[in-house]
Amino acid sequence: MKKLILIIIVLSVRILNAQELFVFTEPASNMATGSAGVRLNNSFMKDIYTHKINYHLIPELMFGVSKKLMIHTDAFLSTRSDNKLILEGGSVYAKYRYFSIDDVHSHFRMAAFGRYSFNSSDIHQESIDLNAHNSGYEVGTILTKLLNKVAVSGSVSFLHALDNGNNNEYFYGNKQRDAVNYTLSFGKLLLPKEYTNYKQLNLNAMVELLGQTNIGSGKGYLDIAPSLQVIINSVARIDVGGRIQLSSKLYRTAPEGFFVRLEYNFFNLFKK
Amino acid sequence: MKRLFICLLVFAVNYTQAQITKVTIQASGLTCSMCSNSINKALKSLEFVDKVDANIKNSSFDISFKPNEAVDFDKLKKKVEGAGFFVANFTATIRFDNVKILNDSSVNVGANTFHFLNVKQQILNGDKTIRLLDKGFLSTKEYKKNTNLIKADSYKTGLQNGNRVFHVTI
Repeated sequence: MKKLILIIIVLSVRILNAQELFVFTEPASNMATGSAGVRLNNSFMKDIYTHKINYHLIPELMFGVSKKLMIHTDAFLSTRSDNKLILEGGSVYAKYRYFSIDDVHSHFRMAAFGRYSFNSSDIHQESIDLNAHNSGYEVGTILTKLLNKVAVSGSVSFLHALDNGNNNEYFYGNKQRDAVNYTLSFGKLLLPKEYTNYKQLNLNAMVELLGQTNIGSGKGYLDIAPSLQVIINSVARIDVGGRIQLSSKLYRTAPEGFFVRLEYNFFNLFKK
Repeated sequence: MKRLFICLLVFAVNYTQAQITKVTIQASGLTCSMCSNSINKALKSLEFVDKVDANIKNSSFDISFKPNEAVDFDKLKKKVEGAGFFVANFTATIRFDNVKILNDSSVNVGANTFHFLNVKQQILNGDKTIRLLDKGFLSTKEYKKNTNLIKADSYKTGLQNGNRVFHVTI
């Protein structure tokens, strides 16, 4: 396990070009002031116990409020508890960039983020997931470094699970409501070899490590999430990824699956 | 009639003295084309900007302007910062007409006040490219280094007698 992480780090550091538009995490950078983005996030997660494919549709709106602040709003729909798509909840996410050292073709940035999620589905697993499963809040910090055209991003956050809506109590005990999430992400630009215009198709490859440790139980999980990203006309994005569980001591019902995201950005939507 | 002629002449002299033909901005902190495009689109949203010619590889933007529109350097800088990046280098090509400059002294060129630094006494004629040295118009590192060398108070405040002044060199 440790060896695998080391290999990934070594490989990623050798990458010449990197991108930080990560698929499973957010970088410390924000979107442009007055701009907006629309995302359609689609997850196809395989339930270990029922072998059913749970489809999660998460429409997302993003706003660049200022040069340092951006906000995301999400709605959570899924087929997990029924065979039809049900609206289960939503979330609000805010990210504030509080530190930045920029140079031509490089930067080191830090951001703080907070998130509040509401979900009315039944509590069905021990791990806490504010992205479509649990009600709760999360606060954390992100560090993103672009050095010699290599981007590496990491984050640490504290999260607290609340009871879900519809009287779905978080029944794993009050001590287990708190957890720490940590992530480590690497990205590589595969195409184009050299930038000449905005119409060029960009192809990026990413590898991300996503972990959680429950503060109450001390149990955790670690996933690896490889992905490919296509950027069209420098405004639209298609992300295709997978999530694979490397290890887990927490009870999880559907940790693995595919992910497809469609994103479109509207620059200067709000004049400032 | 004579008065009108004088008015026109004064206007024409002022106008030719100050024509900013091009600004080139190099931005820092980005590598990807989507980031570059966010700066490109932000710059284009300014009413006085006519065209933006972006070099994605070098993160630089050549900006040309609509005729007879006042060019605001601060607004250009703010657009780069608003997109989430910083200005690493800012140069302006200006069509001068008989403008006398002295080292470490200010001169009004059209609507702008320029404080020339590190220059020889000379008369500027034709297209000359000046580089802005003020805070936010170059890297933080270079600005900090300059604050030790440039003693003028206006360099820290960006103001001279309450008016905006740009510290520039050739």
